[in-house]
Amino acid sequence: MIDPVNHTHSEPSRQDAVETMSPRGWRVVFLNDAVTRMSYAVMVLRKLFGFDEPTATKHMLEAHEHGRSVVWVGVRENAEAYVFSLQQWHLSATLEPDETS
Amino acid sequence: MKRVEVRLSITAVAPLLDLIKSVVDDLRVNLAVPLALSDSDAELATVWKEDLLESQRDDCDRLFSLFDQEFFTEGVVAFDRDNAEPVLRACAALRLRFRQTHLAKVPDETLEALEASTSMSDLDETIQKAFACFLFLDELQKIILKYLDPMAEDDDE
Repeated sequence: MIDPVNHTHSEPSRQDAVETMSPRGWRVVFLNDAVTRMSYAVMVLRKLFGFDEPTATKHMLEAHEHGRSVVWVGVRENAEAYVFSLQQWHLSATLEPDETS
Repeated sequence: MKRVEVRLSITAVAPLLDLIKSVVDDLRVNLAVPLALSDSDAELATVWKEDLLESQRDDCDRLFSLFDQEFFTEGVVAFDRDNAEPVLRACAALRLRFRQTHLAKVPDETLEALEASTSMSDLDETIQKAFACFLFLDELQKIILKYLDPMAEDDDE
């Protein structure tokens, strides 16, 4: 669990789980791995980001086919919290600045 | 609370537990998924690593607690809403670690073909056992996701 402000732990709020947020944000990039069961990845994306099943499946397939999928963009502290939560579920993820903003 | 009991073959599963336990021990000090943070986030990575390891250890302990006296006498393990998520995570971590260690030399295509056929006769004995663990952990995940999907609506309240 991450507290985004203190870099300690608390799960991000579902209210923050929108796919795009503010400009000059940070991206949470979900990375593919060849081991994890697809239905597990979909379940985790739904649980952490509040996605509906088609949206979670779309991100899972994008990562599967292209190696990565941007699942969230927003302020850095929340992005960090999401990456931590994904790691806690053993899904590979990274954080990168959103160059488009 | 919804509870799912699964009867396993003791003779098939018990011989796998020592190997699974050795990977659990490995996961006490190594993350299943290495942190993918940039060098500038080194301080953050240090803090996260300890917390992620603690979470990983707790999850693996929950998984191993399934194999208690009831399992060794009746072959039964039980899942409920309390242990479903930790066990799902533990299985995910263990499968990843098996892939990185005991199954590291098996190409992806071979592993996929094996998962489709579940025929292990072409593998040497040590890899056979690791692959059996890999499949067994996958089966546990399948059962939990089918009957206790954390995202499914509760139908037992």
